[in-house]
Amino acid sequence: MEGVWRGGAVKRKGRVAAAFAVMALVLAACSSDEPGDTDGTDTGTAEPADVTIIHGTTDSIVSLDPAGQYDFGSNQISQQVYSTLLEVPAGGSLPEPALAESCETEDSTVYTCTLQDGLTFSDGSPLTSEDVAFSFQRNIEIDDPQGACSLLASLAACGKWKDSAIETPDDTTVVFNLQAPNAVWPSVLTTSAAFIVPSEVYPADALQPDDQVVGSGRYTLAEYRPGEQVVLEANPSFYGDAPLNTRVFVQYFKQSSALKLALEQGEVDIGWRTFTPTDVSSLEGAEGLSVVEGPGGEIRYFAFNLNLEPGDEPAVRQAAAMLIDRQAIADNVYEGTVDPLYSMLPAGFAGHTEAFAERYGEGPDPDGAAQVLDDASVQTPVELELWWTPTHYGDASADEYAEIKRQLEEGGLFSVTLESTEWDQYTEDAFTDGYPAYQLGWFPDYVDGDNYIASFYSSASFLNIHYENQEVDDLIAVEQGSTDDAEREGSFQRIQEITAEEAPIIPIWQGTQLAIVRDGVTGVEDTLDPTYIFRYWLISKSE
Amino acid sequence: MAGRSHSLRRYLLTRIALAIPMLLILLTLVFLLMRVAPGDPISAALGGRLPQEELDRRRAEAGYDRPLIGQYLEYLGDVATFDFGTTIVDNRPVTDVIVQNGAATLELTMVAMVIAVVTGVGIGTLAGRYRDTGLDVGGRLFGIVIYAAPVFYLGFLAQLVFGKWLGWLPTSGRASPVVTFELDTKTNLFLVDSVITGNWEAFVDVVEHLVMPATVLGLVIGGVFIRLVRVNLIQTLKGDYVEAARARGVGERAVVFRHAFKNALVPIVTVVGLQFALLLSGAVLTEQTFNWPGIGSELVRYLDNRDYIAVQGIITFAGLVVVFVSVLIDFVNAWIDPRVRF
Repeated sequence: MEGVWRGGAVKRKGRVAAAFAVMALVLAACSSDEPGDTDGTDTGTAEPADVTIIHGTTDSIVSLDPAGQYDFGSNQISQQVYSTLLEVPAGGSLPEPALAESCETEDSTVYTCTLQDGLTFSDGSPLTSEDVAFSFQRNIEIDDPQGACSLLASLAACGKWKDSAIETPDDTTVVFNLQAPNAVWPSVLTTSAAFIVPSEVYPADALQPDDQVVGSGRYTLAEYRPGEQVVLEANPSFYGDAPLNTRVFVQYFKQSSALKLALEQGEVDIGWRTFTPTDVSSLEGAEGLSVVEGPGGEIRYFAFNLNLEPGDEPAVRQAAAMLIDRQAIADNVYEGTVDPLYSMLPAGFAGHTEAFAERYGEGPDPDGAAQVLDDASVQTPVELELWWTPTHYGDASADEYAEIKRQLEEGGLFSVTLESTEWDQYTEDAFTDGYPAYQLGWFPDYVDGDNYIASFYSSASFLNIHYENQEVDDLIAVEQGSTDDAEREGSFQRIQEITAEEAPIIPIWQGTQLAIVRDGVTGVEDTLDPTYIFRYWLISKSE
Repeated sequence: MAGRSHSLRRYLLTRIALAIPMLLILLTLVFLLMRVAPGDPISAALGGRLPQEELDRRRAEAGYDRPLIGQYLEYLGDVATFDFGTTIVDNRPVTDVIVQNGAATLELTMVAMVIAVVTGVGIGTLAGRYRDTGLDVGGRLFGIVIYAAPVFYLGFLAQLVFGKWLGWLPTSGRASPVVTFELDTKTNLFLVDSVITGNWEAFVDVVEHLVMPATVLGLVIGGVFIRLVRVNLIQTLKGDYVEAARARGVGERAVVFRHAFKNALVPIVTVVGLQFALLLSGAVLTEQTFNWPGIGSELVRYLDNRDYIAVQGIITFAGLVVVFVSVLIDFVNAWIDPRVRF
């Protein structure tokens, strides 16, 4: 799905923006290059357009080495400088060939990927199957505490590499021997854990320094000033289409208010991640700026611990599901910047259904909730201790949970005690039976329903809420092992039906992605999709 | 003279010796507080994404569950060799953080102190000289108001007026993105580097970015100096030697600026020095408001992420700076005034 453009008036402001305009005009006047080939064909020879983009963000970088990252800020830059065997194109949801021209399997256990011919890294060295094997092996063996080696668990457990995991019979063939059938392995090959690095440059047992990154992506890293700035320049040896710009500056801001001011002043062209709802309201309709929306895979929910009262009683969970007014939360707390969520598999993902709406209706149903509790002989008001965390999920969490408390208590069916603690203590207590019900959120690792369904509903879920349903586990095994899209979607749909009925987790909202863009900047709407990859290469700017 | 020199040396050595236990207490407190507080860098980053067993495994592999005494002794040993370690959350040598982000703070602090001294001493002197006049009242009022106003509030106001409404000045960062990228940094002090490299366009850009945060911070600190200078000048003007000067027919201007002013400044120097040392550890609120990539901002970020290696290293450095500057000030005072001894 593509983004939606919400426009505003045109006005140039700021001395810095004027300086950029002059600079761009001078560069354009001096340049004799033709614009790059941007018709989507895979020529690999077109020159990038002579354009500089400035992106402002509140994210931060942990590591630019694929073995040491599992965070947004690091992944955002890495997506630009590295490549993967497969990638999800803008607006798409399925992996497509990238470094690999094909990845085939007959049993979802052995995957054979064939690399394109003539691939090189940005330093000119050839990219071969040996580099692919090296990249996966080092990620698992380094087992960095902040890395994403757990995403490669189908290949080998973190820290426990097996030489049989990958075979490289020739320079362009890579054979993955998974430990068990996994139909989502192609999606895993699009993640940050699967970036390919040069075996001649990167150490096998340590992280590469962030200012010495070498990849095969659309950009090279020209400058890295931690906490301040990243500068990317178009990689002339990239195998595919040239970016629609020459250079990208990524400026890092500590506060969204500072980013907002910088946007208004014309110091940055694009603001993406992360604005508060009030920032967005303030920027809507601002002169020279536009709000661009796109679908997002970020979700918020609260979970019951099924070993603790009152979540051990299904009727209580169902009643809570009936009382939540998601639209009110979206409108009153988030000012329309999020959408109501009626399933733990968000809209936009294959297999999504509005399971909670189908089971309980879209709006609050106090009468239905009262009946459910009465049928189960549950005494009302039900005492519920509901936990949330003040800063990790944004400043609006306080308002969100105050609203949830109000909704649950309306009609006198629940008596809610809100409790909160900071994230560090929260993560220690929530997953160790400390909280009867608690707030959580999720961003996808890859664009597949498995990343939601299995993560939350399998009996081995990290949530540790003691939810176990054999039919759900069996269905998860089916969807993970099947390459039949219809069969997988059927599994997802049945899982959503069961888990809406049992309601161990109550979905609340699904985030839309928002970017604030200066007039004249194009392409942002093309990149806002559930992958959360901000594809600088699709973005251009007219003066 | 030999006697004076000997007592000064003894004073200095004693002063340095006293600084060591002070520093040790600081390091121990930082070490303990960071480990007693709940959380660790791994949970901060990956809690809510990975199963508890996986988080526990990663914590154990990283050594966060080692006995405290072992970690403490290792920490002291590293500090003794000026090895402040490598940050956990972004794998940067802490010395790099201190050098790069410390330079940003140093630049902001130096300019802010110049503004603080000029405004504080200037207004304070006028207020003291023209005591109980409109100038005095205005100066004192200005000092009180500016000191009472939170620096971030003044910063927001300045950004609103000079950045958003008038569009005169940029509102964040040390320089524009292109200048930051293209400036040849030899000292990490952008003002100095732009002068050294003769990049006058960059110099103007850096000055534009520096004006607001330095002025806001400088005025707030200057508010303290106004009152201090005024009070000290008034006290000094009551002195016998000042009366004697007046009796000899020395003009009032000379009485104030040649006789009283210098003596009134002695305690001010102490305060200025200590204030400067404190700011070097990071003018956090100013840096946060203006997105200034200083060491204070980085300290907050590392605190948020429970990166105790980074926090220890930065606070140790800050402690060393404050200790060094306070010893230096004490030495200067002792050198000037022979009465200052143990």
